[in-house]
Amino acid sequence: MSSPQWPSSLKDPSKICFESTQTRRLVLGSYWAVVLLALPLWWYTTSIERLSLPSSRVLGLFERDLRFQLHLQLNTEGYKDAAVVARDWQGILDQRTALGGRWEGLDVYVHPKKHGDFSDVFGTYTVNMGPYKSSAQDRQLSLTTANVLTDDSPTTLIDTLSDLLAPYAPSDSHDCVVQYAPRYRLAFTMLNEDAAAGQAVHGWDIQDAIAQHISPHLLRLSVLHNFTIESQVQFHAPLAFKPIPISVDGRAAHGLMPEDLTVFVNSAQWTLSSSVSNDPVLHFILYVPSVTQRPLYILNADGTTSRSTAFLLPQWGGIVLFNPPPPSDLHQHTHLSSHSLMPIMNSFSTQLLALLGVPPLPPAVRCTQSNSSLTDWQLDALLRRRILENVDKSTKTLGSIVQLVDQIENMPVGPDVRGDVQDALIALDKVFVSSRNSTIETLLHSSQALSLASRAFFNPGMLALLYFPAEHKYAVYTPLFASVAVPLLAAVGRELIAWRRSRKQRAESKGGEQDRRERNG
Amino acid sequence: MLAGWRCGACFTLAIWATLGLAAVPRERFQESLIIRPLHDGKVSSQFSFLTSVQDATPRNPETLGLEDDSQHYTVFPLALGQILREYAITEMHLTLNAGKWNYDQWGYPNEAGVGTGAELWAWMGDGGLATVDQRWQGLRNALAGLFCASLGSLDEQRTTSPVLTFAPEGLLPNWTRPHQLRHASLPSEHVCTENLTPFLKLLPCKSQSGIASLLNPHQLFDADWHGMGVHVWLDPIEGVKVRLTFQSVFDPVRNSLGGRRDWSFTSIFGRTIEKHCPVAQTSSIQIELPDDKSYTLSPEPTRVDVNIALFDLVNRTEPFEAAMQWLGEATFEYPLNAGDLSHMPLSVRRTLRGSSQARGQLSVVLTNNWPTEMHVIYLETMPWLLQFYLHTLRIYCNGEPCDHLISNISYTPPVPHARPTMFQSVLTVPPKTTIYLTIDVSKSFLRYTEHPPDAQRGWDLPPAVLVPLRVRENQTIDQGTRYPRIYTPILLVDLATPDFSMPYNVIILSCTLITLIFGSVFNLLTRKFVVVQLDGPTKDKNIN
Repeated sequence: MSSPQWPSSLKDPSKICFESTQTRRLVLGSYWAVVLLALPLWWYTTSIERLSLPSSRVLGLFERDLRFQLHLQLNTEGYKDAAVVARDWQGILDQRTALGGRWEGLDVYVHPKKHGDFSDVFGTYTVNMGPYKSSAQDRQLSLTTANVLTDDSPTTLIDTLSDLLAPYAPSDSHDCVVQYAPRYRLAFTMLNEDAAAGQAVHGWDIQDAIAQHISPHLLRLSVLHNFTIESQVQFHAPLAFKPIPISVDGRAAHGLMPEDLTVFVNSAQWTLSSSVSNDPVLHFILYVPSVTQRPLYILNADGTTSRSTAFLLPQWGGIVLFNPPPPSDLHQHTHLSSHSLMPIMNSFSTQLLALLGVPPLPPAVRCTQSNSSLTDWQLDALLRRRILENVDKSTKTLGSIVQLVDQIENMPVGPDVRGDVQDALIALDKVFVSSRNSTIETLLHSSQALSLASRAFFNPGMLALLYFPAEHKYAVYTPLFASVAVPLLAAVGRELIAWRRSRKQRAESKGGEQDRRERNG
Repeated sequence: MLAGWRCGACFTLAIWATLGLAAVPRERFQESLIIRPLHDGKVSSQFSFLTSVQDATPRNPETLGLEDDSQHYTVFPLALGQILREYAITEMHLTLNAGKWNYDQWGYPNEAGVGTGAELWAWMGDGGLATVDQRWQGLRNALAGLFCASLGSLDEQRTTSPVLTFAPEGLLPNWTRPHQLRHASLPSEHVCTENLTPFLKLLPCKSQSGIASLLNPHQLFDADWHGMGVHVWLDPIEGVKVRLTFQSVFDPVRNSLGGRRDWSFTSIFGRTIEKHCPVAQTSSIQIELPDDKSYTLSPEPTRVDVNIALFDLVNRTEPFEAAMQWLGEATFEYPLNAGDLSHMPLSVRRTLRGSSQARGQLSVVLTNNWPTEMHVIYLETMPWLLQFYLHTLRIYCNGEPCDHLISNISYTPPVPHARPTMFQSVLTVPPKTTIYLTIDVSKSFLRYTEHPPDAQRGWDLPPAVLVPLRVRENQTIDQGTRYPRIYTPILLVDLATPDFSMPYNVIILSCTLITLIFGSVFNLLTRKFVVVQLDGPTKDKNIN
């Protein structure tokens, strides 16, 4: 009885070539090698592009301080020793600038005239003292000498100067002033509450009126902003609320309470918004109440009628109420000539200047500037303010980008974002350089920095993976990953156990031999 | 850059100065309402609001980079003016319609643009900083924002340039480069209140006074057919003109208890005209008088021209309401005959045949109702979902092939996922004859992401457009007398639609499969085979 002649390997499978422990380990090892080699590929294909941002330079911006150097050139024309006055003023001004506040970013130096003519130096203002009425023109200020002679403490003069050089009080709510933009749309709208009720205003000579009252200002302000102008007339513009009936001098009238003014604009029914561009719009509205609501007055908080017919909506625009004089015929239509628009346009131009942040002249000073109502003192103050504002805002925006990218690890940072951040930093560097030579150039760089910084901040590419977390992908692929990983890990474990056992056995067998040898020895 | 600012300001000032000297452009606003009782008891109404700016010209695209003139308008809609100037549009037509215009019963509409859904076409000058296609994109996005309609989807996958069919209605200024046409339609767009509200805001009197006060959304969108349109063109004499229209077809028989066809403003619009719009220079209501003389019309019209009663609303102070009654008629009897077909040169039927999801056949049946030979410009613009096989184009008349009846074929084949098909040709229809045109189509297979949310509903295909022409012996097609466009009803195509849970099923199934294969191969390779020695000899003995 002999068993059939099986090859010896079948009797002992470990003799088959692929059944040797070494081959098995090699097979297992190559599986793991594939997995491990695939890991970098997987990492590369699924990782988010996160370029490093120049964070240290951005953080360094917060340390930097933009300062403008202003030089006052005193010309006392012999009334008093200019050097003495200059020293006095310098002392007072140094105290004030040290306090910061409205003087933030300004260094003022006073020089007497006889020390040489500084008027060519950038940032120099000339103050003349003599028998003039106080007036400002170009970068010159003429001050009446009456105060200089009689009053030993020059505080009133310094106050006037402060109002010219640093007119923006820090506590002063700047909310009313619109944010800086290189281009604004000025939309002039005449709203008839209800033209069908009669006595409506059907037209206005707005183009002439704008050319007379608004354009001179716009020309002066063209160093800061560009303007697009448009106008329209609407014939049905109801209010969202009812004005309260009042009585003025025994006649029936209607009034708007101060709280009504905040909800005056009925945006649902007045088509004021413009859809074609992203430029901020400043609205100027001439509101003609319907014949049944006339006259319409603005009321003070105590219920008395206010003398003003105009009011300003912060950062939005201005509104002027217009009560046309009652014509004899109910259906007669009015057309506003540019002459009758004059008081209205004056209100509009005041509102425009207030919205754009043009500082008013101190009450004691008259403007003698030819062909404009804006002096260089005002424009310079506005330029400085806009530059500081832009630099501050772009610094903060860049800071938030860096912070945000640090916080959210899934946020991609593409080359365009990094490019914008770098360009913004370059523009900011240029701001610091050019601030010693030219305010206009500085403003250009600062507005460039701001627009680049906000473009980087609002880059749509940064949102890409925010809403599609990696967990979702893992969830979808778990049926594959889990079921492949289990046999791989189990095989490794099994192999490890087998290896350790075989090592132990070998050690034991070796130890046994040694024991035997010792015993024998 | 600063120099640029200064220069811009000076330029603007210079323009103000010239405008100040020149006469202010005069704007005119005219409104009218045309009411037409129809043969089948329905009532068609057309509101038309026409605004014109004397001496105004469209913007030349060459000036797009420069500072534009300031825009000062009194009755012209500023929101629309801004869009027209921003994208330098010379002529523009936008229509948003719902329902199927029944040409055979209702005759020609007052406004030719009655294709179902949204249709936008514009003639634009060429040149300047932005290309025509960039401005076309800007235009449709701006209009989408203005009218709250999905016009943004009229993208390059739907845009064609069928110059022969959509000839300019106004004058095209003679600029250095020729004008270009862009046309797109979106049949699945539905017009509703959210489109009417911005439409009303473009009117100087909104819907507060004048004829526009009759535009009552509750009634209008209950009508059997309704549609609005915005048309801008350049009139050689009167300057830039804008016409805003609203057409509707009401069914007074359906809405009355006794099944009568009497109508009044209150019954069809739910309102009367309370106040006159103070800025309208003309304000007229025209009522077409039916042929059967059994009606009574109130109030007495201002004047009657042949068969049109005219009411002038300017200077009218009391509320106005018109009404028409058929006193001798107890209930309206629907006419059994199809009505008088002679007022329509053509009758058209268009169908998509074949039940397969891969192929089909487009069939168009054209009947010439007139006893004279008729030339017809035939335009098909199809999204790339359908591909025409031009070699299968066949025409039959009187039961025989008549392939000689088609000429001037121009065909732009589609590019899948990118460009639509455009097929434009001229058909000659013999007098009082019906011709049958067929062409085979294949239906595309869409990508997973290209299906709309309601994929099972199918895809709306835009209407075909036909322009009947009367061409004399010695004239070319371009010189022929054009009749208004005719739109066929839209079609619905059923494309192969997947089960949308499929991707996840596929992922999970294939994962399981891969795991199975992997597991068995891996096990085979790494398993340790051991021979188990059973108790051999005992077993052998037992066997033996």
